[in-house]
Amino acid sequence: MKRPLLLLALLLPMVATVPVRADFSAGLQGANDALTSGRPIEAVTRYRALTSDPALRGSGAPELWYDLGLAEEKTGDLPAASLSYRRALLLDPTFVPARKMLADVLVSLGLSAPSGRMESLTAAIHPDFLIVAGSIVGWIALLALILLAFLAPRRKYLIALCVLIMIAGHGASALGALVDPRRTAADKAVVTAKKPPVLRVTPADHGESRGTLAPGTAVSVLSRNGAWWYVSGGPGLTGWIPADTVTTLLPGSPSGGS
Amino acid sequence: MTPFLSRVLRTGRLAALGAMTVLPALGADVSVTAELPRPEVNSGEMAELQIRVSGAQQADVPQQIAVDGLQVRLTGQSTQVQMVNFKVTSSAVYSYIIMPLRTGAFTIPGVTVTADGRQFRTAPLQFTVADARPSSVPPPAAQPPAPGYPGLQQPVRRQRPAPPRPTDLSRVAFGEINCPRRTLYAGEVVPVEIRYYFDAQYQVQVRGKLDFGAEGVVIERFGEPKESREERDGTIYNVLTFRTVLSAIKPGPIDIPEAKLESQVQIPGAVPPGFDDPVFRQLLGGNTPFSEPKDLTVKSAPLHLDILPLPKEGRPDSFTGAIGQFDIDAIVQNPKPAAGDPVNLSVKIGGKGNFKGMGAPVLTQDEGWRSYPPTDRFEGTDDSYSGVKSFEYTLIALERKSASPGAEFSYFDPVAAKYVTLSSKPLPLTAMPGATNQPVGAPEDAVKTPPAGGKSPVAASAVVKEGDPYPAITLRSWQSPVRRSEFVIASLAMLIAAVALASVLGYRHIQMHGGTARARRRRRIADLASVIRDGKGDEAAVLEAALEYAELALPDSEKRQSLVESLRSRHDEVKYGLGGSRPMDDTERRRLAAALAELSGKSSL
Repeated sequence: MKRPLLLLALLLPMVATVPVRADFSAGLQGANDALTSGRPIEAVTRYRALTSDPALRGSGAPELWYDLGLAEEKTGDLPAASLSYRRALLLDPTFVPARKMLADVLVSLGLSAPSGRMESLTAAIHPDFLIVAGSIVGWIALLALILLAFLAPRRKYLIALCVLIMIAGHGASALGALVDPRRTAADKAVVTAKKPPVLRVTPADHGESRGTLAPGTAVSVLSRNGAWWYVSGGPGLTGWIPADTVTTLLPGSPSGGS
Repeated sequence: MTPFLSRVLRTGRLAALGAMTVLPALGADVSVTAELPRPEVNSGEMAELQIRVSGAQQADVPQQIAVDGLQVRLTGQSTQVQMVNFKVTSSAVYSYIIMPLRTGAFTIPGVTVTADGRQFRTAPLQFTVADARPSSVPPPAAQPPAPGYPGLQQPVRRQRPAPPRPTDLSRVAFGEINCPRRTLYAGEVVPVEIRYYFDAQYQVQVRGKLDFGAEGVVIERFGEPKESREERDGTIYNVLTFRTVLSAIKPGPIDIPEAKLESQVQIPGAVPPGFDDPVFRQLLGGNTPFSEPKDLTVKSAPLHLDILPLPKEGRPDSFTGAIGQFDIDAIVQNPKPAAGDPVNLSVKIGGKGNFKGMGAPVLTQDEGWRSYPPTDRFEGTDDSYSGVKSFEYTLIALERKSASPGAEFSYFDPVAAKYVTLSSKPLPLTAMPGATNQPVGAPEDAVKTPPAGGKSPVAASAVVKEGDPYPAITLRSWQSPVRRSEFVIASLAMLIAAVALASVLGYRHIQMHGGTARARRRRRIADLASVIRDGKGDEAAVLEAALEYAELALPDSEKRQSLVESLRSRHDEVKYGLGGSRPMDDTERRRLAAALAELSGKSSL
């Protein structure tokens, strides 16, 4: 009984959060006031300052990115708003308002909202829950299995049940890790340029064109070469674009655009 | 499958194969354009937006286009394939219905279309909705239903005579079009049936697709035609029946040209002397080899439609473009959710009409509920004209509720020429708010009581109106738990705990079963040596102990083998011949012990 408690004690810090300073709350209130009173540009500046606050080192607030997306949308910067909503969903895939606003923005940009089995799963169950809860269940089942194997080896049905629970728990944990959008976020970026950047065969201004990427499109960054990034925006949409036309999905990553 | 339909399908497959082999060569000439046939409409009228994708095999277009003050929804697609001088061009036209929600000038933004894996963007278009002028068109009288289609009769099989050379090709193949209503409202959907009759005496090959359409009309994609046989005026015809639905966008008269179907008919030619023998024809399955192919465009009659605008008078606020005849039903999927869990309300709209163009029902009596835009799903019977469309609402109770919201749905009934409003009553349920679903206006409470699930101390209520900023935040990591040190440490700790537990229990298990095999063997050798050394028991028992000792403790050698054989012989002699109950002589026992010790490399046992 002590071991599960020890495990819980070790895992609790993962879901617990760091208290936010009072001046951060005041800053958030000020940004919200600016947004609701019709000063979206000021609100964008304030929200961006909050997103880089030292209090959020290593972590982020989905609500803050959502608020920033609202402000950017009101300034008419839809590609930036799509990036902010995507970041809110990266932190909390079950954040329904951000998903809805992202879909609206993408439709306005002429793009389709992200959809698929992984999106459906993460929208219903937070990957963190799958990983942590599945892991706890799996380890407890393993301990129970060891106890039963040595102390009550004749209880074969209980042993089989423990094996099943252990597989299910660790399987859920592995599934959560697999569908977690943060797993591949380091190589993702969003086109934040307001004009569609031209995909080129070679990293040069005069390189042969392969088409354009619509603002707001999510791309996979395959390679970086100075001011040019080799990206893929889907089947047949792979090529070099200027790095300053895209922004990485993870705020801390080496970024091309602002 | 009948031979006739097989031929038709085979021809269609060949046409598709041809298109597949030719069209990729045109991939470099993909173009995407947007057109507004009517850039200006009056209030209450609808317009059509067409996005034409040429030269692409596959295209992905958005289902709706967001424009403030307009509702722009995708309604259908048509494909045209043309071959002129062996050059094939294909184009797909995606039709959107534009329903103005207010008057004014609008800019429809460029639409991003993915065609053959490449992205294209159309140019923005200007669209104006003017104030409606008084309509002088009277409301339509109720139309009698169209006469039913003639019953399909199974023709009497008869001996096939030689087909005569036709004098009038219009009797060999002809088309008919049936539309139950000729006076429609803009946006109303009606079924259309096009039937092509082919004289069964002649071989016919259908080539290409059905060509039917006109500007201002949206026609759904035709499905596979149905084949039947029919007798008219003593002639048996193979009949191909195409069914689809049609809707008009703009008011006014519309003339839809004939529906055309390209075909090729084998016309019997002159038979050389000696070959007009019935037996010869019989050998050829009743067909004559002396025929010539004749291209024939089979046409139906043109279709004239009068399109009326939807009346403005009596239009309910909850009207979202539905035209037809519908009924409403509602069901709560989970009437007793846990506190804070959402309630799933399913509102089903069934009947006949423009399901693609209808919006969601409006919720009523929804105070104390938070709702999200519903998802919808359509289940048609055999087309998009009739069926059931389900709107799934996700509702979260902000206070204790004993009934769901109601739903209101308005549509225009084109037969009765009036708007009808349906409503579903609130349904009984039991729903309670969760810890984070406190009503707006109580942020102090929320600040005092941090919500569960790792909310930060400044986290306040999550109840925020759509589009409003969140007054509080929740901190979450940018890294997945599996890449965080806490998770790795906890997992390693659990692994070590499991290994330690298994080790402890395993050791205990071994101890309970007499230790390891090696330890048991060592103890047994010591016991045997004690028996031999001390002369416990009779001679037979000592000899048995010596034999077992030799097996367990002595290395394999010739000396050991000879000792074992002599011991076994002595044991049998003592046990079965001399009487094994006597104790062993001390001298003999010491000699035995010394021999065993020598072989085991020890000074004594």
